[in-house]
Amino acid sequence: MSYCVNCGVELDKTATSCPLCHTKIYHPGHPADTEAAPPYPTVKGVSEPVKKQEFAILMSIIFLTTSVVCALLNLFILPYGRWALYVAGLCILLWIFLLPAFFPKMANVYVNLALDSIGIAAYLGAISFLHPGDGWYLHIALPVTITATLLLEIIFIFAVHFRSSMLIKAVISVAAIALLCLEIEAVIDYHFIGFVNLRWSAIVLTCCVAIDIILLTIYLRAGLRAEFRRRMHF
Amino acid sequence: MKKKNTQKTNNATWYKLDLSANVYPTLQRKNFSNVYRISVSLRERIQPDILQKALDTALCRFPTFQVALRKGLFWRYLEPNHRPGPFVQPDIENPCMPMHFKANNRYLIRIYYYEKRISLEVFHSLSDGTGALYFLKTMTAVYLRLLGHDIPVGEGVLDLSETPGSEELEDAYLRYASSKVKRPRSQGRAYHVRGTKEPFYTLNIICGVISVDKLRVISKGYGVTITEYLNAVLLYALLRKQKDEHLWKEKPVKIAMPVNLRSFFPSKTLRNFISMVYPSIDPRMGDYTFEEILSEVHHYMRYYINRKFLNADITTNAATQQNPLIRIVPLFLKDFVVRRFYAHVQDGQSSAGLTNVGLIKLPEEMKPFVERFDVLMGQPFSARTNCAIVSYQNILTINFTSSIKETDVERYFFCKLIQDGIPVKIETNRKMEES
Repeated sequence: MSYCVNCGVELDKTATSCPLCHTKIYHPGHPADTEAAPPYPTVKGVSEPVKKQEFAILMSIIFLTTSVVCALLNLFILPYGRWALYVAGLCILLWIFLLPAFFPKMANVYVNLALDSIGIAAYLGAISFLHPGDGWYLHIALPVTITATLLLEIIFIFAVHFRSSMLIKAVISVAAIALLCLEIEAVIDYHFIGFVNLRWSAIVLTCCVAIDIILLTIYLRAGLRAEFRRRMHF
Repeated sequence: MKKKNTQKTNNATWYKLDLSANVYPTLQRKNFSNVYRISVSLRERIQPDILQKALDTALCRFPTFQVALRKGLFWRYLEPNHRPGPFVQPDIENPCMPMHFKANNRYLIRIYYYEKRISLEVFHSLSDGTGALYFLKTMTAVYLRLLGHDIPVGEGVLDLSETPGSEELEDAYLRYASSKVKRPRSQGRAYHVRGTKEPFYTLNIICGVISVDKLRVISKGYGVTITEYLNAVLLYALLRKQKDEHLWKEKPVKIAMPVNLRSFFPSKTLRNFISMVYPSIDPRMGDYTFEEILSEVHHYMRYYINRKFLNADITTNAATQQNPLIRIVPLFLKDFVVRRFYAHVQDGQSSAGLTNVGLIKLPEEMKPFVERFDVLMGQPFSARTNCAIVSYQNILTINFTSSIKETDVERYFFCKLIQDGIPVKIETNRKMEES
């Protein structure tokens, strides 16, 4: 048996250092027994994930029932237009949004985001099919949905894969808001007046540029960064 | 037909959570569950298939351990669980890991085996240490019987042919809460050990193995009981740790210690029946010698741990739960308020937890097969150290569990025992090479 020369406690025969003070054990007569089983297992356990099948089945049935009941109502009792299609579309959209909750093991933020966007685009497409306007879907809804998705994907890539500071993440998010606003106004202008005349989005852009400059200055100045961290800790 | 009737009866059976059990699910987080562990080390290597049979046989005698936790509109409740399981499994490095209510076929107990050790992990809403110990003793006795040994009932080993009595399933708090005054709930804020938090799924254990005889002689020399002595040593270790940190403003050092109420209010309940006391030292009043700490703890215990004070404590909790205004509040609102109260008030009013399960007794025929018992208090709610003590024959084990890297409190604690002339053997699950 070995004793810690610092603490005086007796140590387990498999120990290589004292767990209390981390002093290495050196005992030529009794080296650490590497063959014997240690007092505790070495395999780390992980909690069993919660099975979500029941929740997935319940929600799927709720959405399906709602769609079918509304379709029957639309057909036989309230035959005013094709309003049941909106409800069915919304149910499908909610089902797509809930996919990560139904299949948590298979959840992937990029794929789910892309699926959500495809769902939104399809729902808006269905609305434009029921109410064919003057091409608002192709000129406004689709480009804005695609841009918003791409910007969100970029923000997620930065947040997950790059160990950047909160300030850099904030700079990217603010820049994304500015770009989205610019695009929204540009496509609306082009659709309605035929050319781009930026007005309100220019104000948003100016504010976002100012915020980004302030954030970048704080990021680049160590003193300001420390002050910011102190005041904004949570 | 008979099977159908049994199923009907089972469907009609459900259990209200007892007074303290209501709090534990509320505090559940993704990375925290209120789970504790009791282990028994035998003299022979464990045979998992026989242990599984023993578990299946013993579980039928403990209906409150064969349950699932469900949510009602106003309160949570326990209902009989007839899903397959629980299954024995090889032990892991990080005991008392979070227990999700819907995982593990909704069982709230886990049984592990490692070499010669059987470990039972229990979600605190089911039972306190005493109830879990009844279950572990009975399961171990069945295991030994299946190996061909003749183990009688008694000393905590229950008779499997008996039907569980209503007193075993009762909420004993409500039976005894009768005080006309209620003690204040808040004890004031206490010093919190600072440390580097370990990553998720890590629970550091440092176990000290001590001779009961030696410890008894030393504590008797000081004129105190073993519990009082070990409480004082932990307070002493925490005070030293606070001194080391050179805080601008020191805080009182307090220990949260559960008291087994069965010793004061006769009850056979296998569910929770504990109350908390908080022995403390306030270093703002001046430096305390170890003898002064001992004296404080000794007198605190004598003054507060009695039927009257404990009754006032449980009356405070019972009155809150029985208040009609609180009862009609929906569960999610109760959860929100209780979680905030616990995080900001309850958790902040103790520096460490210490539980002494006491001397474990077994039937004479079972004693030759059992080497020792261990208790782990499980993961602390916030970064701190918890300490659990249990003794069997001449072996007393002190298990420190913490989710921080630093071992200062444990070192001061065991070094003090060495200074007092008590030999200590240390075991750990910490990674030695990394330390």
